[in-house]
Amino acid sequence: MNSTNDSEYRYPIRPCTLVYVVLMALTVITWLLGKTSLTGLSIALPVLAFALFKGLLIGDYYMGLKGVHGLWRWAIIIWLVVPGSMITWAFISAS
Amino acid sequence: MEKNYPPGDLAIWIFILAELLVFAVFFSAYAFTRAQHVELFNTYQQTLDTNAAMINTLALITSSYFVMRAVAAIRKNRQQQCVSWIVAAILMGVLFIVIKSGEYAHHYANGINLRTNTFYMFYLSLTFFHYMHVLMGMIILGAVAVKAHNGSYSAREHTGVETGASYWHMVDIVWLILFPLVYIMR
Repeated sequence: MNSTNDSEYRYPIRPCTLVYVVLMALTVITWLLGKTSLTGLSIALPVLAFALFKGLLIGDYYMGLKGVHGLWRWAIIIWLVVPGSMITWAFISAS
Repeated sequence: MEKNYPPGDLAIWIFILAELLVFAVFFSAYAFTRAQHVELFNTYQQTLDTNAAMINTLALITSSYFVMRAVAAIRKNRQQQCVSWIVAAILMGVLFIVIKSGEYAHHYANGINLRTNTFYMFYLSLTFFHYMHVLMGMIILGAVAVKAHNGSYSAREHTGVETGASYWHMVDIVWLILFPLVYIMR
C-alpha cells in the first residue's frame, strides 16, 4: 500500500490503480472464457491461474504484504498455492 | 522499507489465516467431490448466473481498491477522504449483497435448497459462508468509518483502519478463488 504514497508517485498511473485495471481485466477475461463452450483442463487451468495471480496481486499491493519480510510475506502466497494445488489435482484426476 | 509485520493489528492476521484455512478446506472438498460427480456438477453449474457473479467480482475488487485508497488517505492524515473511500467501499459491498440476495431468491423460488443435490449443497453453503463474511466486513468498515469521522485516526495512529482493510481484502481474495471455481471451471 506504500505504492500510493505521493512521494513515491512518479508514474502516469498509480501502481495500485494499474493493479486495479489488471484485476478488472482478468475478471472480464475469466467471465468471457466461461461463456465459451470450452470444458476440461483447457478452461479450468488458465482460469485458476488467473485467479491465483489476482490473489497474489491483492496480497502484495492491497494487503501491503510486498513490503513485509519473513513468514508474513509468504502467508497469502502459501494459502494460494495450497488450495490451488489441491484444485488442480482434483481437476486433473477428473479429466 | 521492509517491515516485520503486516499492516493492522496482528490479531486480525491470526483470524484471517484461520478463516483462509477454513475456505481452503471448503475449496478442496468442493474440487474433490466434483471429481466424483463431474457430470452432475457441470450440469447444475450451468444453472448459475455468471453475469451476476462477474458483476459481484468487479464490485468486490472495486471495494478493495477503495479500501486501499482509504488507508493511503489516512496515512497522509486526510481523515475526510478516508471516510469517503470507506463509505464508497461499503456501497460496493451493498451492491454485492443485493445481487447475491437476488440469486438466492431466484434459487429459493425454484425450490432449490441444500438438499436438492450435492452441487447445490456446496454452492449454497460455500457462497452463503462467504456472504456472511461480506456482511461482517461491512459492519467492521462501518465502525472504522464512524471512528475515522470522529477523528480517532491520524497519520500517526491508524491501526484500526489497516485492520479493517486487511479483513476486507481477505473477503475479496476468497471470492477471487470462489468465483471461477464454482461458476466457471468445468
